[in-house]
Amino acid sequence: MSSLEIPGGVLERGVSAGDDWIRVPREGILAALTHLQERGYRSLCFLTAVDHLATPTVQPPAERFEVVYQLRNLASGHQLRVRVPVPESDARVPSAHRIFKPANWDERETWDLFGIVFDGHPELTRILLPDDWEGHPLRRDFPVGGEPVDFSEDHELWQTAPSEA
Amino acid sequence: MTDATIEKRQAQSGVTITRGGELGEHVGLAGEILTVNFGPQHPSTHGVLRLVVDLDGETIRRVKPVIGYLHTGIEKQAEALRWQQVVVVTDRHDYLSPLSNNLAYALAVERLMGVQAPPRAEWLRVIMCELNRLSSHLVWLGTSSIELGAMSMFMYCLRERDQILGLNEEISGYRMHTSYIRPGGVMADATPRFWELLEGFVQAMPGHIDEYEDLLTKNPIFISRMQGIGMLSGDDAIALGATGPMLRGSGISWDLRRDRPYSAYDQFQFEVATSELGDCYGRYQLRIQEMRESVRIIRQAVDGMPGGPVNLDDRKMMPPPREELETSMEAVIHHFKLFTEGYSPPPGDVYQAVESARGEHGVYLVSDGTHKPRRVKFRSASFVNLQAVEQMALGSMIADLIAIIGTADTVLGDVDR
Repeated sequence: MSSLEIPGGVLERGVSAGDDWIRVPREGILAALTHLQERGYRSLCFLTAVDHLATPTVQPPAERFEVVYQLRNLASGHQLRVRVPVPESDARVPSAHRIFKPANWDERETWDLFGIVFDGHPELTRILLPDDWEGHPLRRDFPVGGEPVDFSEDHELWQTAPSEA
Repeated sequence: MTDATIEKRQAQSGVTITRGGELGEHVGLAGEILTVNFGPQHPSTHGVLRLVVDLDGETIRRVKPVIGYLHTGIEKQAEALRWQQVVVVTDRHDYLSPLSNNLAYALAVERLMGVQAPPRAEWLRVIMCELNRLSSHLVWLGTSSIELGAMSMFMYCLRERDQILGLNEEISGYRMHTSYIRPGGVMADATPRFWELLEGFVQAMPGHIDEYEDLLTKNPIFISRMQGIGMLSGDDAIALGATGPMLRGSGISWDLRRDRPYSAYDQFQFEVATSELGDCYGRYQLRIQEMRESVRIIRQAVDGMPGGPVNLDDRKMMPPPREELETSMEAVIHHFKLFTEGYSPPPGDVYQAVESARGEHGVYLVSDGTHKPRRVKFRSASFVNLQAVEQMALGSMIADLIAIIGTADTVLGDVDR
């Protein structure tokens, strides 16, 4: 694993609970994924994002978001996680759908739930939520249960406690 | 067709008609492409799947799945729960294989915590996951056959599935959403009656699988609906990220149980069923074969079941036994800590995948060192496999789409999570 040279450079590499991972800069992600695919990592297990907002860990990550690609080498069974730090002020990553086809829906889902833009994606629209949904629910500052209740005439009464018992 | 005719026909039929030739060379006899909505309330879509299908006559030119109708925000909910409480939501997205979902989550948490469940727990997990694979394949077989007109199959399959649900009930108290497999072990040891029922089931099941095969394998109607339909080459299957029966049905021998063994699977002998056919019939044969192998694994597990506890002896992670609470102050403190705060894995992340009935079901967990997960991602097999449906359906007849969706075996709760 440590012999893997990645074009564009690797910021950091490590092992977490037995899983190998590397962190690459955002500019080098497509080159890194292409390189890894050529080296046998033909399968993209999933692509997602993590929101590190106000994380209580000792060394908080430099950027709020992190996009995570989990790759697998089908011949050797080896798995490698590629992480890309993404700043909140400029939450965009180049789209990997040309390299890995399944990234298409994963990127739509990540846009839908985290609001991270994937540049060059053919159809970056909401996939799980309704098209008119506001906000990106898997961000840590999106409240649980904060959505208005549809199809209820007196939903305001439902949501607030009665003024007198 | 003139614009006026198009408008009139659109108004009458309620379907969108585009002018012929707009989609390149795909121009049918009448020179027009029909766009129809297949679902979301169609009985053969296995849930609420909507497919926007472009038709040239009866030939499929484009399939665009529209999903999200069953999105329940399970990943968001999981972030608000303590580590041990998340097990309950893992049951509910892929409602046909709750035990595989439980297992993937339990193994991921155990890896984060750096612990391993005792051998007896791992073997019980294998038994339950294989029973679960059988019950999921039975639902698949029953519903897919009923869509192709084999009505009686549904009755036969659900008959055996009901026995499996009975086994679930016997061991965990629940028939479907068992939450039986938990971080650190399983809910409880199996009862003597469970072993009795399981023995009867394991002895009878191979005969039942023969029965299904008698009804379907050489049935000319079934064959003509399945053979050569929904072709998917091995390279396409890998490129599209397909896993499970979709990948093995295209001749790629890849099974996480054998190639990245988890739980106790490295201690069992079984064949990884593959089919070179790459069509719906191949995927059917493969699942039948997988059911036979599952029975074989259960047989081995019953015969070689190790003794010992079924839960970790770790008071920081597992609640103390009930009787200790009355005599030990320490047990009361542990109990209180565990059910108010819970436990906190060290910061880090982990990806654990298991071979569920539909393919690779993975759980990606991120811990920030607190008692609730920072991020829980379910990599569901159905979500990825559904993207391969277009590739399989292009050029087929609209009626074949039923067989194609059927053998892709997507569970919409799993797709939308």
